[in-house]
Amino acid sequence: MRGDQANRLNNGGLIDRSLPLSFRFDGKTFSGFKGDTLASALVANGVKLVGRSFKYHRPRGILTAGSEEPNALVELRSGARREANTKATTVELYEGLEAASQNRWPSLHFDVMSVNQLFAPIFVAGFYYKTFMWPAKFWEAIYEPAIRRAAGLGRAAQVSDPDHYDKAWAHCDVVIAGSGPAGLAAALAAARCGARVILCEEDFVLGGRLLADGGMIDGLPAAEWVARAVAELTAMPDVRIMTRTTLFGVYDGGTYGAIERVNDHLPVPPEHQVRQRLWRIVAKRCVVAAGAIERPIVFAGNDTPGVMMASAMRSYINRYAATPARRIALFTNNEDGWRTAETAIAAGLQVAAVIDARPDVSAAHRSLASKGGFPVLHGAVAGIDGGKGGVRKISVSLAGGARAEVEANGLAVSGGWNPAVGLTSYHRGRPKWRDDIAAFVPDGAPPGMVAAGAANGAFGLGACLCEGFEAGAAAARDAGRSGNIGSMPVADDEAFSITPLWHVAGKGKAFVDQQHDVTASDVELAQREGFQSVEHLKRYTTLGMATDQGKTSNVAGLAIMAAVSGKSIPETGTTIYRPPYVPVAIGAFAGHHRDENFHAARLTPSHHWAAEQGAVFVDTGLWKRAQWYPRAGEKDWLESVTREVKAVRSGVGFCDVSTLGKIDVHGPDAGAFLDRVYINAFSSLAVGKARYGLMLREDGIVYDDGTTSRLAEDHYFLTTTTAKAGLVMQHLEFCRQVLFPELDVQLTSVSDQWAQFSIAGPKTRDLLKEIVDPVEDLSNEGFPFMGAREVKLRGGLKARLFRISFSGEMAFEISVPARYGEAMARNLMIAGKPFGVTPYGTEALGVMRIEKGHVAGPELNGTTTAGDLGLGKMMSTKKDFIGRVMAGREALVAPNRQVVVGIKPTDKARRLRSGAHIIPKGETPGPDNDQGYVTSVCFSPVLDQWIGLGLVERGRERIGEIVRAHDPLRGEDYDVELCNSVFYDPDGGRQRG
Amino acid sequence: MAEFSWDVRSPLDRALIAGSYGAQGDAGVSLTEIRNFDLVQVMARRGKAGEMAKAAQARVGMAAPETPKAVDTADATLIWSGPEQFLVLSKGGRHSIEALGSVFAGSALLSDQSHARALISISGDKARTMLAKLSSIDLHPDVFGVGAAAATSMDHTSVTLWRGKDLADGQAVFNLLVFATFAESLWHTILDSAAEYGVTVGHSEELA
Amino acid sequence: MRIVCPFCGERELGEFTYLGDAKPKRPAADAGEDAVYDYVYLRDNVAGPMTEHWYHGGGCRAWLKVTRNTLTHEISAVEPAAGAGAAKVGA
Repeated sequence: MRGDQANRLNNGGLIDRSLPLSFRFDGKTFSGFKGDTLASALVANGVKLVGRSFKYHRPRGILTAGSEEPNALVELRSGARREANTKATTVELYEGLEAASQNRWPSLHFDVMSVNQLFAPIFVAGFYYKTFMWPAKFWEAIYEPAIRRAAGLGRAAQVSDPDHYDKAWAHCDVVIAGSGPAGLAAALAAARCGARVILCEEDFVLGGRLLADGGMIDGLPAAEWVARAVAELTAMPDVRIMTRTTLFGVYDGGTYGAIERVNDHLPVPPEHQVRQRLWRIVAKRCVVAAGAIERPIVFAGNDTPGVMMASAMRSYINRYAATPARRIALFTNNEDGWRTAETAIAAGLQVAAVIDARPDVSAAHRSLASKGGFPVLHGAVAGIDGGKGGVRKISVSLAGGARAEVEANGLAVSGGWNPAVGLTSYHRGRPKWRDDIAAFVPDGAPPGMVAAGAANGAFGLGACLCEGFEAGAAAARDAGRSGNIGSMPVADDEAFSITPLWHVAGKGKAFVDQQHDVTASDVELAQREGFQSVEHLKRYTTLGMATDQGKTSNVAGLAIMAAVSGKSIPETGTTIYRPPYVPVAIGAFAGHHRDENFHAARLTPSHHWAAEQGAVFVDTGLWKRAQWYPRAGEKDWLESVTREVKAVRSGVGFCDVSTLGKIDVHGPDAGAFLDRVYINAFSSLAVGKARYGLMLREDGIVYDDGTTSRLAEDHYFLTTTTAKAGLVMQHLEFCRQVLFPELDVQLTSVSDQWAQFSIAGPKTRDLLKEIVDPVEDLSNEGFPFMGAREVKLRGGLKARLFRISFSGEMAFEISVPARYGEAMARNLMIAGKPFGVTPYGTEALGVMRIEKGHVAGPELNGTTTAGDLGLGKMMSTKKDFIGRVMAGREALVAPNRQVVVGIKPTDKARRLRSGAHIIPKGETPGPDNDQGYVTSVCFSPVLDQWIGLGLVERGRERIGEIVRAHDPLRGEDYDVELCNSVFYDPDGGRQRG
Repeated sequence: MAEFSWDVRSPLDRALIAGSYGAQGDAGVSLTEIRNFDLVQVMARRGKAGEMAKAAQARVGMAAPETPKAVDTADATLIWSGPEQFLVLSKGGRHSIEALGSVFAGSALLSDQSHARALISISGDKARTMLAKLSSIDLHPDVFGVGAAAATSMDHTSVTLWRGKDLADGQAVFNLLVFATFAESLWHTILDSAAEYGVTVGHSEELA
Repeated sequence: MRIVCPFCGERELGEFTYLGDAKPKRPAADAGEDAVYDYVYLRDNVAGPMTEHWYHGGGCRAWLKVTRNTLTHEISAVEPAAGAGAAKVGA
């Protein structure tokens, strides 16, 4: 089936003519074949105009056949899968593919914004900086939206990506970027040595330039040699060939980033499969065989559709059997460009002329011209007559000064080749200039990496094979592998001679960076205005800053800058190269970690029970914690929380507190160790007792708090806050291993071993008597306040019981091994039923701790001292501890510090808000009169009003004073009274009862 | 007097539903949760690593691993978990913390971790491929052979990973100890990672 | 970046937490405020090899002394903290 593929050649190509595919571009249906890219299928269908340019909305065609493409960007797919700025040259054709051109309105052929071209003289480099300066308020409201509409690339999908992405690790001896002749030879040599090899190829077919340029290797046609090499590699168990995979970056320690487009070649990924996968490859050695990118010559009209890189034209004709034009002209400054003339003739196309910038051409090419019946014009292209319909006539300025005109509907251009120096330069490496090939080549590389073949400036096929083979063998050797590497593949080297030509001076717009619409005159303007450093040139003109990162434009841009500033190209230098080599979707970096999987979730042992009760959960760090347990008929969270608090204060309730960090501190020196990390003494704590402890940072600021119990002479059970559990463990290990290595003490996290519940309220003992074995004495004498010991439960299970209270009520905390956690919650409900037991969540927990004036996260906020929290007296004077010396600094003990105090509105009906600033009565709110702020608030069911804690200057000396709570964020200002921070049961009789 | 039942529930009790998941056909990954085990962390006291090793040898007849390895004894597995420390994994109370207390008295400090972890055994043709999505370490058979162990992280979560004895058909078995409160979350990540290869899921009371 | 943990072998950066310069030593209890101030706050801004504390929290929980070139990230030495594991230290 040929359909309407008018520009499809009758023979040849690596397309599968038995598998026709239909696709839509800008709403029109076309056909192509399996093995096409979107670009090659458009070429086959004679589509020349594929997009409008970024700034001037100029008509643009396809320039290249690879990932360096600046022009042929499309919106691929539709709806939620719409992906902007996709290069048509890398999109594999699939049945039903849908693509749309970008940056045109209302249509590609009639684009209103192309009037911008008429204003081109004013749209020069720095235009936006110079023009939209004032009035400043116009920027956001008027200028920016208008500019964004007029200039820009494709549209994002605006809705969540329905596809999945993941990430994976791979390890190998040698990773190879590129599967052209150098890459395949490197892989063969390394693999034959027994090395673990990963070969990454961004294309969907292996072979690199061999696919388009052919040649003979080891006496075989290139395609046959490639097939044999791939078969040999595939048969080896430790070789992994990854097509559709771009090695995009190199990171410290031999780690490489690669993006695998697993299912981009299908309309929708198959079920359970990902669209793309991000690879982190750890390799002992890396061979960069990424090839070279042919570069354009900058001349007036060089962006006309139909102007194409000479090598790209060979790719379309040879690999895809699709010709961009029937009558072709060639403009080259080097020997290699002539291959396109040879290809065109072999494919039965007309060659209109070869325009060669060099003074002379080889005899072979001269005879080719005479046989082909076309002229060789020594000179340069000075202009193009054409438009959105493509090239019609080419105006040539001949070496002697005369003009000539060539009629053709396609112009192949070759300005020479730039080795792909990205990967080798990503660690701030600067490539070096080589005059003989007029190109930058790698000058060293990150540790473990070497470039080979065209990426290293070796442009001949024989040289590519040789460099690749030797680099592969050396890499395997360096990785400690050896073996019989067999014979090196051999091929002849083609001649390569070049006379540099960057820019043909003349009238009309000559584009350096086609994706960002940067012209040669923009570069000249930048030079005149003082932006001569290449880094300034880049930022001032935006040269090389588009999604193609200037792969076809950077070198030409700096060469033009060199010329106008009278410097050499190496003196002018290159900008810094940075990964990624190709754009990588954010989704691939996120992988599995999105939506509900954004981060890991920790579940308490009673989580599923709490969920059954209808608990509302809150994220606290990684944890899901029950926040409150709504009951039918309750109108809001406050009603539920208030009920829970009242139930505890009048009866009994329980709360899962397993989220507290729990650490076994054991060993003969455990007590001495704790003395050094806490401000108060623990070596003096009796076995069977618990004590509240406070830790400082070494700078004297409070770090964390919690209760620690002594379960045996050499065993303490330490608890941390939920928020700091991991950090405290790390800190304690630092103390143990680095600061105090002489102490015989060990630390083990037991946070996950124990399910711990707080049981609180006057009926706690009644409930516990149902759970705990009757042999255990729970009376005030048998188990006094701050007691801690192992107890037996009814049924024989052992538990740990701690008589500690956060709520201010008679309370215990009970721990059972975590797999019994859910049973414990259920049994507390059963045992507590006669006493009206009520499960409570973190909100009620918070209310009760504020009523009791206990400090928590909002007060332990990284700025407060023990003294600020009212805990200064805990600081031992008999021992050294972390933070002791710095805590004594003048500013940390100053009398005017902001300290914890209770706060309540004078109007009992008023809601107190945390964050409100404390201002003295009669003073103007502002930094000069700011005396602190409200840290924690709650509605207190006991006091029947909103109360809070705050950090207020000299607060404890000012109990009873009326001050203002000023809340500019919410527009509130009201009177509050400073009061004792312990609102409830200040003498503590209830918790000791 | 109220009637209580002290049922144990594994941290994966709700998340794990035996059956097949993901791609149809022969499952590439097999996941088995091992339930109800004893796990004791043994950490040498200062300067007592040698005595701890002797005590371990006397108790189980095998030297405790001094490098990242796991060794199987008649009725326990000793898994390296850090410098001069290891985990003792067993069933039925043979090597519970109560049983080991006197063995290591004076040489090591013990901490019961029986309830602190979930244990997942992973096998199948695609086990290694699937684990490459979760684990940053090299699991190539030449590098991570039978008996190799690692204290490492998966999905930002600390885990202990070791390779058990191969199955009769030669398939590798990877054992994974994960902190209990993270287990359900990591389980879902594992299932998602394995779905493209097809997964069979089950649980067992027996150590592999 | 990858760090060769002396206990676990080579591991990726994500398993480690950085603390900072390993050179300052915590002063003795009677050293006085100036010495502690220096210990807490004064740091050299090293351009070149620097010894740093890193914590293998995502692995064996050992604190390590890593010698890293701050210009190149090259790691030339990794050793365990004095009290990592159960090593006998001091008296």
